[in-house]
Amino acid sequence: MRNYSSLGYLTQVFIILGLVIAFVPENTTLPYKLSAGEMLEEIQIGSEFIHPDELADLIINKDPSFQLIDVRSTDEFQKYSLPGAINIPLNLILADEWSDILNQDTKMNIFYSNGSTLAHKAWMIIRQVGFENNYLLQGGLNYWLEVILNPQKPKSTDPNDEFAKYNFRKGARQFFETSSPSTGNVREISAPKPIIKRTKKKKAPQGGC
Amino acid sequence: MGPLIPQEIISLDWNLVIAFVVGIGFGFVLEASGFSSSRKLAGIFYGYDTVVLKVFFTAAITAMLGLLYLSLFGWIDLNLVYVNPTYLWSAIIGGIIMGLGFIIGGFCPGTSVCAAAIGKIDAMVFIIGIIIGIFIFGEGFPIWKEFHEAGNLGSLKIQDIIGISGGLFTFLIIIFAMILFKTGEWAESQFTREEY
Amino acid sequence: MLVRQVDGYIKIFMKGNNSLNTKYLNPYVAGMLLGLILLSAFYFTGRGLGASGAMKSVVTSTLNTIAPNHTSNSEYFAKYVADGKNPMNSWLVFEILGVVLGGFLSGAFAGRLKLKVEHHPFITSNKRIALALSGGVLFGFGSQLGRGCTSGSALTGMAVFSLQGFISMIAIFGTAFIFAYFFRKNWIGG
Repeated sequence: MRNYSSLGYLTQVFIILGLVIAFVPENTTLPYKLSAGEMLEEIQIGSEFIHPDELADLIINKDPSFQLIDVRSTDEFQKYSLPGAINIPLNLILADEWSDILNQDTKMNIFYSNGSTLAHKAWMIIRQVGFENNYLLQGGLNYWLEVILNPQKPKSTDPNDEFAKYNFRKGARQFFETSSPSTGNVREISAPKPIIKRTKKKKAPQGGC
Repeated sequence: MGPLIPQEIISLDWNLVIAFVVGIGFGFVLEASGFSSSRKLAGIFYGYDTVVLKVFFTAAITAMLGLLYLSLFGWIDLNLVYVNPTYLWSAIIGGIIMGLGFIIGGFCPGTSVCAAAIGKIDAMVFIIGIIIGIFIFGEGFPIWKEFHEAGNLGSLKIQDIIGISGGLFTFLIIIFAMILFKTGEWAESQFTREEY
Repeated sequence: MLVRQVDGYIKIFMKGNNSLNTKYLNPYVAGMLLGLILLSAFYFTGRGLGASGAMKSVVTSTLNTIAPNHTSNSEYFAKYVADGKNPMNSWLVFEILGVVLGGFLSGAFAGRLKLKVEHHPFITSNKRIALALSGGVLFGFGSQLGRGCTSGSALTGMAVFSLQGFISMIAIFGTAFIFAYFFRKNWIGG
C-alpha cells in the first residue's frame, strides 16, 4: 500500500504541473524584461529623447559612445540618412543578425525615423526585451532638418543662450552640408562596428555522449 | 537568466567543477536507486523489477517540466540549451545495438560506472567492453562513416514534428508514464522477489 | 515526537518497491532527484548528462599516448586531439569522475561496497563476465553509432524534447524487450 501511495502522490504532482504547462502558452518570444508599469514609468520620464543639438554635437565630435540606427525602409535610407547610421528597418528589429549590434552595453543606440513614431516603436520593443542604453532622436529627421539644417535666427530680444544655440546650429549646418555629398555612401563609412560585449553562442557546448 | 555558462554569467572556468559536482549527484542517485545492480536493471525486461522504468521516466518528466517552467518564467533561454541532433538511421541502428548490449551485459555506460564504483567486477568488465567497442567503431569508422552521417535532420524537437506544444506533449508523456508505472507495479506484484 | 514524525517521512521516501525492506531509495523520489540534477546541469552549463562520451575520451587519450600519429590520422579520433587538445579535459570526463565518487559514497552509506561478480545463481561467474564483456562491446559500438547512450542521448535528449532522444529511448528499450526472451536464462533462470 505504501508503494501505491508514493505513485499516487507522484501522479498528483505531475498531473497538476502537466495540466498547467499544457495550457499555458509557450514562452517562445524574447522574454520581456520590463513590466508594463516599468515601461510606462520610463515613457513618462521621457529621458529616452535626444535633442538634435545633442546628436549633432555627438556626430561632429565623432563621439565613439553611440551608434545611429535608422529604422526606416532601405529605400528611404538610401535617399537620405545621417552620417554613420546603420539601417535596421523596423520589421527586422528583432532579427538575430542585428541582436549583437543592438544588444550591447558599450554604446548607446540612437534610433531615428522621419518623425519620431517609428523610432519610438523600435525603442519600445528594444527596451522591453531588455537591451540597455536606448535613445531616439527627438522629432526625427523632420525636426532635425528644421533645427540643424534650417536654423531660425533668434529675435534680438531672446536670451543669450539662444544665440549660442543658433551659432552652434549654423556651424553644425555647415558641417553636415559639407559632408552631405558623402551621405550617399554612408554604408561604407558607417560607424565603427561596436565592440560587442556579449556574443551569443548559438550553439551550446557539445552535449551527448 | 540561465543557462549560466553559455551566457557567461559565471565563468567558463567553473564548467568542469560543475560537471564534477553534477556527476557526484548523478552517481549518488543512480547508486541509491539500485542502478548499480545488473539484476535489478534487467528486471524491467522481465517485469520483476521496474525501477529503471520508474526512475528513468520520472527523471525525464521532471527535467522536461523543469525546463518548461524555467522557460515560462524567463529564467532559462532554451535556445542556448543543447539539443542533440537527430540522425535518423544511425540513431535507430545504434539504439538497437545498444539494446542488445543492455540485455546481454545488464548495464548501460552510466550505470556500469556507478556499479564499478561499489566494487562490481562485472561492471568493470562491461566498461572494458565499452572501451573495446568504441575502439572498434573508431578504427573501422571509414566503413560506417556514410551511414553514421545519413538521415541528418538537425536539432529537431518533437514539437516541430507533431505540431503540438511542448507543454501538451509533456502532459501526454505524463499520462503515458503513469499508466506504465501502474503496469510496472502490477507486474512486480506478480513476482516474489528477492532484493539484490 | 518530531523525531518519530521525521522518521516516518524518511521511511515513506526510502521504502522502495513492494513491501520489501530495501535500502534503496523510493524510485519516484530517486527519479525526481535525478531529474533535478539533470535540470541543474541544463541551468548551469546548458547541456545534459552523459557517460559514453567520457569513455570515448579515455579511448582517444590512450590511443593518443600509444600511437599519436595513428590517432591524428584517424578519421574518427583526430578531431578530439586536433590543435593539441587534451581529450581528458572534457565536461563528461569530469562528470564521470563525479559519478564514480557519488556512486561510491552512496554505496558506502548503504553498506553496499563489496568486490564481487553479481549474477543469477543459474549461470557461472565466468559466463557473467563473458556476457558483460560482449554487452559492453555492443553498447560501446552502439553508443558511437547512435551518438550517445541511455543518459546522453535518451534521457538528456528526451528532457529537451529532441527527436533523437525519443528514438534512442524506444530503440534501446524496445530492442532489449524484444530480445529479453532469448536471454532469459541469464537473468531469470527459466
